[in-house]
Parts: sequence; structure tokens; C-alpha cells
Amino acid sequence: MSTHTDDDGYTHVAAADELEPGTGMGVVVDGVEVALFNVDGEFHATSNRCPHQRAPLCKVGERKINGEKCWNETRGGFTDAPAVACPWHLWEIDLETGEHAASGKQIGVFDVKVENGDVLVSI
Amino acid sequence: MASQDADPESEMPAAAYDERIIDLDFHMNPTEAELVRYVEDPVAREKFETVEFGMAPRKAKWDAAWAVPGGNEGLFTQGRAEVAEDVETVAEYFAIDDPIVNIGLNNTPTQHNPVQKNAIVRAANDFALDRVIPEDLHCLLMVPQWDPEYAVEEICRLGDKDGFVGAYGWFGPFSLLGDPAFDPMFEALVAYDLPLVLHGSLSFWPQDTPVGDGMLTWTEQLGFDWPVHAMLTAVNAVMSGVFDKFPDLQVVLEEGGHWWIPFARYRMDEFYEMHPEDVKLHPRVHELGNERLQRTPSDYLRDNFHVTTQPMAPPERSADFEQMLTQSMAEDMFLYSSDWPHQTLDPATWAFTDRAFDEDLRAAVLHENAAELFGI
Repeated sequence: MSTHTDDDGYTHVAAADELEPGTGMGVVVDGVEVALFNVDGEFHATSNRCPHQRAPLCKVGERKINGEKCWNETRGGFTDAPAVACPWHLWEIDLETGEHAASGKQIGVFDVKVENGDVLVSI
Repeated sequence: MASQDADPESEMPAAAYDERIIDLDFHMNPTEAELVRYVEDPVAREKFETVEFGMAPRKAKWDAAWAVPGGNEGLFTQGRAEVAEDVETVAEYFAIDDPIVNIGLNNTPTQHNPVQKNAIVRAANDFALDRVIPEDLHCLLMVPQWDPEYAVEEICRLGDKDGFVGAYGWFGPFSLLGDPAFDPMFEALVAYDLPLVLHGSLSFWPQDTPVGDGMLTWTEQLGFDWPVHAMLTAVNAVMSGVFDKFPDLQVVLEEGGHWWIPFARYRMDEFYEMHPEDVKLHPRVHELGNERLQRTPSDYLRDNFHVTTQPMAPPERSADFEQMLTQSMAEDMFLYSSDWPHQTLDPATWAFTDRAFDEDLRAAVLHENAAELFGI
């Protein structure tokens, strides 16, 4: 993924239409793994690794193998909080604060903006 | 120490893909319709095909979904492997080189009817032989431990087939292995060189008892009911002379926890050495004509048992983690297990990201112990 950092410290990471609602994408910005999420058209970004066991949060929304035979068809998901539910163990990470309430553990959250159809993240 | 992760899409640290990983607890769930095809007994088969609750009615009063935000299921959080190709695809994600597959029917022992239970076991084993083993996957042979005579029959029927690397049963509120009725089964397992892998079953603490009905949370039921039964299973087998009569028998306690090992090893030795006189009254020890156990109790634990790692539940500090691994005899006793596809999935990240693991310990837990035990 090619990235470009503008004068405000924002880095272009994706075209907005690359990321379907309800899914995530992993990008590396300045050596930092970032998970970018599209939650019903609203973009969010956090550190990519779950504070529990370092699962890649960017894989949220990935279709399960034989998902149609399971209660939920995707690995992890999003809640109304909004929070991302980790694809491994469903730990819910608040997308505004990066906190997991039950454990008190926290990961980084990053500012995101969309300009001219591009998604930019500030690390 | 491996660094994580140049690739943000990677499920595991990069170094995991260079290490051999044998996974002792990989659940495969063929559809019921598929399994029913392998039921030979026409009476059992007719009921499986026509009765509403089919092959696997659930007896448990509790559901993991109550404990998970959003009421998500626990059994298929990662998906569902129905055919061998599904297993291979998923194993690759998690850097698992050798998944040892079981046909995940863990509520079988809780069902009541022995004709149906035996039919399910036979069908699952025939499915594995026909559909899984030919795809170069290792499997565990399900043994109907509620019926030791039939268990022996099943071991003799399939125990020498390549691909079945161990036998699969359950620990729980069932007859303990100390019962001499299991001796013919142990004899057959040793003869066929099959370690006995006992998984927790869905029959949590005996229900309709004050203790069983008093537990309302998943943490109590899955987190502690299973380790208590696993520990009792181990101690009972040791104290009843199972391994004096069958010194080559190997038992794996799967998903029964592992941090209880230090407690059990020192407590067993303390109690036995202070109160040794009743052991000779156990029917098996009496039959052997022994006055005492032939080894120190904790030696049997190290020499005849293994435990699986999932969930590792490591302490925060590496120094504490390292001490617990040492006290738990991890280098001798631990076998890696993922528990895919359940919500309790445990990818082996801790072996690559925590300083508690050096190269030797990582190799022992992730593959060497299992390779030696199962001859793979």
C-alpha cells in the first residue's frame, strides 16, 4: 500500500470505496500497524492488534468458513457503541477510546478523515 | 524473539509460520446428514433420521451465548470445518502444520441411550476413516468409554488403521478410570499404541445437584468445572494403580486446564506419603499384590499424563509465566491445542511474543511432545 503524509500529519491509506461497510482493512503507517474500519459508512482507526492476544482486528467482518451454517456469518463485528468485536474472542474494543471495559486494557485510536473519496489517518 | 508483524493481515507472528505446530484439539463438525449416512445400525439410524432432535440433543442447562456480548454463539465463533479441505484452509491461517482432528461430538457421553451413543461413535469413526484420513490428516478414534466392552471392540476394529494416532474419550462426571472395568480398554490401548485423549464433555458438574445448579456463569462452568474433573481423573488413575498395571498407558487431559499441575503434584505426594495404607485396598492394587504405588505419585503425573494448553491464560509478567511453566512441568507435559473453531480459540501467539519461552520450550510444547507421543 502506498502512503502519502500531508502537511496536517494525515496519511492517505485507502480509497473510501475500497472498504465495504461492516469490514476492516490493515495498513501500515510509519511502521505502525493500523486497523481501518467502515462502520455503516463511518470510518474509524485503531491499533491493529487486540490487547488480549494480539489478534488482527482488521480482519473483523471476514466471512467464516461455512458461515451460513453458523449463527453469525462473519468473524467478529461491530456494535452500536461503536465498538469492534475482535475476530478471535469477540472482545469489544470501544472505537472512540480504544478501551475494553471488562479488562480495562486499551489500545491506540487514531483520527480519521475522508477527503475527495480518500481515507486519511493521523498517527 | 520474533517480532510481530510486518503483515497486518497475518493472524500469527511471522516466526510461527517457520515453527512446526501440532494442534491436539481441532474440532471438525460434519453435518448431521453427512454423519447419519455412516450409521450402520438400522434401528438407530431410523431414529436419527426421524426424531426431531437428531443425533446430538443438548442436555446442558447453560449456554455460552449468555456469557458473550451480543449473545454470540461459542461453538462456531470461527466457522465450521465440514470437510478435510476446510481443516487445511484454517490450519494455514493459524500456522498449524499438523491438526489432529476430532469429530466434535462432545455431548455424546451425556446422552442416555447406549445403542444410539454407540452408533454415533461408530459413524464418526467411519466418517473419519473414509473422509478425513485419506486427505492426510491425523484423527483421534472415538471410544465409547461408557461401554468398555464395546470400546475394546472399536479399538480392535480400527486401532491399527494408519491415521488414527490416538483414542478420544471424555473426562467429566462419569465413571472414573480407577474402575477396574476399564482395564480391558487400557490393555487394548496399550496393545495398539494409542494414547487416550480425554476431552471435557458438555456435561458440566452433575446438574440437578446443589453444586451444579448453583453455578450460573460460564466462568464457573467451563473455567473451573472441567479442570476439577480433569484433576480428579488424573489423581484417581494414579492412586488406583492404573499405571502400575499399565505402565505404558499414556493419557492426555484436553481442555481441562494446566495450572493445577503444581498443586496436584505436591499435594498428591504429601497426602500419599502421609497416608499410604489404603492404596493396597484398591481392587486393582490388591489384585497386583502391591503394598504401595510403584512410583511417587507426581512421577506418574509427569510420565503418564499430558495436558493441553488452551487457554494458556498466561500471567502478565514473563518471570511469573516462566516459573509457572517450570512448576507445571510444561517441557514434559504440555501439548499445544487451539480448540478451533470455538470462542475459546487459543492461537499460539504466547510462544512467540513472551520471553518465558526459549527455543527448547517452544519446540517441546508446540510439536516435540506431541510428535513423540503420537509418533507423527
